[in-house]
Amino acid sequence: MNRRFAILLLLAPLLLALCLAFGASGFGFPVPAWDNEIFWLRLTRVLAGFVTGAALAVAGVVLQAVLRNPLAEPYVLGVSSGAGLGAAVAILGGLGALGAWPVPLAAFVGSVLSLTLVYGLANDHGRAPIYGLILSGVIVSAVASSLLMFMVTLAPVEGLHSVLWWMLGNLEVGSVQLLAVAATGMLTGCAAAWMLAPELNALTLGTDMAHHLGVRTRLAVGGALICATLITASAVALAGLIGFVGLIVPHALRAWLGPEHRRLIPAAALGGGVFLAVCDALARTVLAPVEIPVGVVTALLGGPFFLLLLRRRRGGGWLE
Amino acid sequence: MSAPAIEIRALSAGYRDTLVLREISCSIAAGEIVGILGPNGAGKSTLFRCLTGLLRPAAGTVRIFGHDAFSLSAPERARLVAVVPQEVETPMAFTVEEVVGMGRTVARSRWAGAPGARDRQAVERALAYTDTADLRHRPLSSLSGGEKQRALVALALAQEPRLILMDEATSHLDLNHRLEILQLVERLQSEQGLTVVMISHDLQLAAEFCQRLLLLDRGRLMADGAPAAVLTEEHIKRVYHCAVRVQSDPQSGALHLMPTPRLPNGGAVGRGVHVHVVAGGGCGEETLRRLALCGYTLSVGVLNQGDLDAEVADALGAKLALEKPFSHVSSAALAAAQALSKQAAAVVLSPAPFGPGNLPNLELLEAAQAAGQPVFICDEIEARDYTPGHTAIARVKALLAAGAVAWHTPTDLTERLRERVTVGSQQ
Repeated sequence: MNRRFAILLLLAPLLLALCLAFGASGFGFPVPAWDNEIFWLRLTRVLAGFVTGAALAVAGVVLQAVLRNPLAEPYVLGVSSGAGLGAAVAILGGLGALGAWPVPLAAFVGSVLSLTLVYGLANDHGRAPIYGLILSGVIVSAVASSLLMFMVTLAPVEGLHSVLWWMLGNLEVGSVQLLAVAATGMLTGCAAAWMLAPELNALTLGTDMAHHLGVRTRLAVGGALICATLITASAVALAGLIGFVGLIVPHALRAWLGPEHRRLIPAAALGGGVFLAVCDALARTVLAPVEIPVGVVTALLGGPFFLLLLRRRRGGGWLE
Repeated sequence: MSAPAIEIRALSAGYRDTLVLREISCSIAAGEIVGILGPNGAGKSTLFRCLTGLLRPAAGTVRIFGHDAFSLSAPERARLVAVVPQEVETPMAFTVEEVVGMGRTVARSRWAGAPGARDRQAVERALAYTDTADLRHRPLSSLSGGEKQRALVALALAQEPRLILMDEATSHLDLNHRLEILQLVERLQSEQGLTVVMISHDLQLAAEFCQRLLLLDRGRLMADGAPAAVLTEEHIKRVYHCAVRVQSDPQSGALHLMPTPRLPNGGAVGRGVHVHVVAGGGCGEETLRRLALCGYTLSVGVLNQGDLDAEVADALGAKLALEKPFSHVSSAALAAAQALSKQAAAVVLSPAPFGPGNLPNLELLEAAQAAGQPVFICDEIEARDYTPGHTAIARVKALLAAGAVAWHTPTDLTERLRERVTVGSQQ
């Protein structure tokens, strides 16, 4: 296990450096200099990809553990639709023209609101039963999606294009400050999630058993959900909706390294970060100068890889 | 004197508006091994949830080693109490070692990357004690039921608790593995001074392993005491609404609970038909039981007092003709037996051995044959004749030659009885 983790540690910087060499302007390592604009452009983009991928993968790990559901991913509790709705309101309301901040902020607020709503709906005398959370997540998602679709049908063509692009995910960094703020949110969430690793381990045995093992379950579940929300909302605000990373990276790494969360969370952060950075590098270059939405690449690349893994290591990580 | 492991005072508890437990009071001393019994819905699980602090009592208090169970914080409670559940479903492939390591969730430092020496030691001891060290790298979910349960006991042990609560922890295991887990727990109690409280559906095993039983009935504590005092026929009838017989095993003193016999076809075959059985030496037990199951009215004799057959016959409600222990059958006893066999619709010889002492019993069969009563004789008398001149063999052969029906197994016997003897043929 430790050797596998070491492989991951070694491979990650190499792959990230390689990503720097890919760009719309052609293959080649940009000179790391203060005045080299291409270098900074690519560096921020690779960093944004790495942080977002890391964050989404960690959020996936946390939610899969807390909800004890293999289908859980960062968007399962309605975060994506809430963020989408918030962003669409901002874009179609013309707030996008005011700078780099309004749309991400609206997305952040939308996702936090929808998660609060989900939690409020599932809440039963201070306890939030797992199935209640999943069910209300599905319902809130459905309602927010229909509202979003309704708005999209009324939107002018340019607005429609922006909303669609935003929903497919985009790692082009509008402002370095935005990247810094969002990355702080994501990294804080990831660190907090890692702190909760022992509790997450125990929670996979069920809340009652975790309680018997000494976990303050209400606090631990609440804390884990807040971490996941902070992470996901920050990620969505920065890069829009990028699917698949939060679902498959946790599964792949769990199958490879085992489900122990003290090890899985840092591994998922590294793996998810590198995966998204690589996907983004491919998205920029495969059809250059046309850029493929990165969400399309994660799905096209991740899907077959995941199926392969599932067939080869059946029962390695998640047992059925 | 330290505080008792568990002290429950006037506890009432339930869910929403319905009270499940009413006014329960009892105290369990440290080092005791106690079973909580009761039918489904009696409140066992509710009591368990109060003991583990999952449920706030509606009234009364539950104290664990002197601390209030509900207001105790989860980490503090985990240092005192560990739970072995009926089963644990972990959807992920945690290895046995990782799962047992979760017993250190509270004790282990959050900041250290690797578990400390003390945590490792606790896990190793738990693995060794439960004999699961060889399974440490296997995923928990790949283990068999018995192995999984041992690993869960190891998980509880790794917590280094003072009290272990078993919540129907052996319910879905087969007998062999139930015994294995219970012996493990018994060893923990005696060697480490742990207090063990087990909720169980298995009355017999609970009686075997617990020093004390609590019997719950519809939310109330019906009985509290030693197994023999709690598991009486009367209590079980009242609580479980079914008739059982409770006997203590003559060899070990262990309690045996048996459902009272059910009769095939409701015992219609033999109802109202009186059969006299010549038995003895404990060899007629099966014959008697089978005839009673078919509903025949039985009389048995002559038997020596204390013969196992006499006890069985008595338990089955048969009329008896008895002789003093280890004595030859006297003419008085024989006359008493004859009085019984004369009224019978048939006389049956069970696979009883014959010696000089009980040889007069054959006269019962001869007299019955002479009187025209059907006689049924278990074959292979040669193997059971211990009389000096093999007189029993000769006399039985004479009976068979004169028309007595031979039978081999109890099923043969009941078949032949049904063919030849009916209610109408009673003399």
